[in-house]
Amino acid sequence: MFEAKGLMVFYENMLALNNVSLGCGVNQIIGVFGANSAGKSTLMYTLSGIMLDIQKKEEMAGGERITIRGEINFNGVNIMGMPPAHRAKAGIVLCPERRRIFPESTVLENLRIGGYLATARQARDTLEYVFTIFPALKRLVNRLGGFLSGGEQQMLAIGRSLMAQPKLLLLDEPLLGLSPVIQYLLAKSIRNIRDERGTSIIVSEQYARPIMPIIDYGYILENGAAVVEGTNKELMDNPDVKSAYFGS
Amino acid sequence: MEIVIYGVINSVTLVLMALGFTLVYGVSRLPNFAHGALYVVAGYLTWIFMNRLGLNYGLSVLFALIVTGLIGAAIYQFVLIRVRGMPISEIIASYAIGLAILEGLRWGGLKGSTFTLPPFVEGSVEILGVSVDFQRLLVVLIGAVMMSSLWLFVTRTRLGLALKGMAQDERAALTLGIDSDRMAVVAMALGSGLAGLAAVTLFPLGNIVVEAGYNVLIMAVAVCIVGGLGSWTGAVLAAFLIGFAQILTVVYLGAHFQVVVALIAIIITLVLRPSGLFGRQKELEERV
Repeated sequence: MFEAKGLMVFYENMLALNNVSLGCGVNQIIGVFGANSAGKSTLMYTLSGIMLDIQKKEEMAGGERITIRGEINFNGVNIMGMPPAHRAKAGIVLCPERRRIFPESTVLENLRIGGYLATARQARDTLEYVFTIFPALKRLVNRLGGFLSGGEQQMLAIGRSLMAQPKLLLLDEPLLGLSPVIQYLLAKSIRNIRDERGTSIIVSEQYARPIMPIIDYGYILENGAAVVEGTNKELMDNPDVKSAYFGS
Repeated sequence: MEIVIYGVINSVTLVLMALGFTLVYGVSRLPNFAHGALYVVAGYLTWIFMNRLGLNYGLSVLFALIVTGLIGAAIYQFVLIRVRGMPISEIIASYAIGLAILEGLRWGGLKGSTFTLPPFVEGSVEILGVSVDFQRLLVVLIGAVMMSSLWLFVTRTRLGLALKGMAQDERAALTLGIDSDRMAVVAMALGSGLAGLAAVTLFPLGNIVVEAGYNVLIMAVAVCIVGGLGSWTGAVLAAFLIGFAQILTVVYLGAHFQVVVALIAIIITLVLRPSGLFGRQKELEERV
C-alpha cells in the first residue's frame, strides 16, 4: 500500500538519508528505530511531505539547500512531489515530533482543528473514539493545550492526527520524554488504533523496548541508512540490535 | 465623563482599523502594508457604487466590502505568494502596492471634499451629559459586533478553526491537511474585508481622502506592535491603551499631538518589551 524507494535527502552536502527503502502494508505497524540524528525525523518529514515545505522555506530565506531524491508510492501513485496538505488529504497524516500541540487552544479545540479534513459525521465519531482510547482527555476538554503534561499532550497529538482520518499514520517519536508507565500505555493504544480502525502505522522511536512487541516489521536506521530490517522477532534476536537497543 | 466616552469611541475606532492587519499577520506572518490602501479603496468603491451606479447605501457597502476582499486575495495570490518567507520583500511588495493604489487614486482625482459618505443614521444623542452623534455610537456597536462575530468565526466554524491552527503552529496545521497558501488567501480576503468595514464605518465622520490610508496604516502598525504582532487580545488591549492616551493628549496637550502618541507608543514598546504586550516571538526564540 505504501512504499518508499531509495530515499536520499541532503542538507547542503550532508547526507541525512542514504538510500532508504521501506514499505508498509494495509493494517501493519512498521517500526523505525535509531539513535539521535540517525535520520528518523528527516525520514518522517520526507514521507509526510513536510520536507518539501521546509525546503521551500529554506530556499526563500536563503538558508540551507535541501535536495530530496527517490520515490514514494501510495496506493500505486507516486506522491514524491505532492505537497504536505494534499498528502494529508490523501490519508498520510504525520503526528510530528515534540507533539506540536496548539498551545492557546483548548483540548477540544485542538481536536476540532484536527478534524479540518473530516466530514461532520466523521469528526463526531472520531471525537468519541479518541475519548474512548484516551479517557484522560475527556476530563481535560476545556484545558489549554499548553498546560497539559507531556503524556497528555502526546495523547492529544495522536487524537488530533486521528481526527484527520488517516489511512497511514506516521508517529514521530511518540514516547519521547515520557514515563515508562505512559510509554507502555501509549504503545498499547497504538496497537489498538491499528486493530480497531484498520489504520496502518509507521512509528519511529529511539527507545525500542515498548514499541518492539507491537510492530509487524522494523528497520534500524544508522547515520541515515537502514542497516538492519526484519520482523520484530528477527530484530530482537539480532545480536547487534540486542546490544545496541536492549542493553544486553 | 467626556474623556471616558470619547476614549472608548476612539479605542474602538483603532480596533476597527487594526483588526484586519493583525488577523493577516497572526495567521500568515504577512505584514500587509497595503492595509491602509485597501481601507481607502473600500470607501471610494462605496462612493462610486452610490454616486456613479446609483445603488442604495446598503448594497454599495456590501459590494464594496466584497470587492475589497477580492482585491486583498488577489494581492496575495498574484504578488505576495512569490515573496512569502522573505519578510523585507513582503513589506516592500505590499507597501509598493499600497502606494500605487493610493497615489493612483489621488492622480485619478480623489482629493478635495466632494467625496463623502452619509452617516448611517443622522442625529445625535446625549449620554450622561455628553453629546454624541449616532454614527460614533454605531462605530462602537459595529466594533463590538465585529469582534464577537470574529470570535465566533474562529471558535465555531471549520475554516475559522483552521485559521486559528495555522496562526499557532504552521507545521502542525500542515500535517492536518490545512494548506498554508489557501489560509493566507482566506486571511487576506478577510483582513481586507475588515479594513473595508472599518472604512465604511469611519468615513461618514469625515471626507474620503488618500491621507486616511497612510494614517490607518500607521495606527494599525502601532496597535499591533504595542499589542504584540499577531495577538488579537493584545491588539484590542493596545487599541484601548493608545485610544485613551490619545484622548488624554487631546484634552491636556492639544489635538496636533495625537499622531505622536501612537509613534511614541511604538518606541516605548520596542525599548521596554520588543515582543509587545502579548507577543510570542521573543519567548519562542529563547526556547529554541
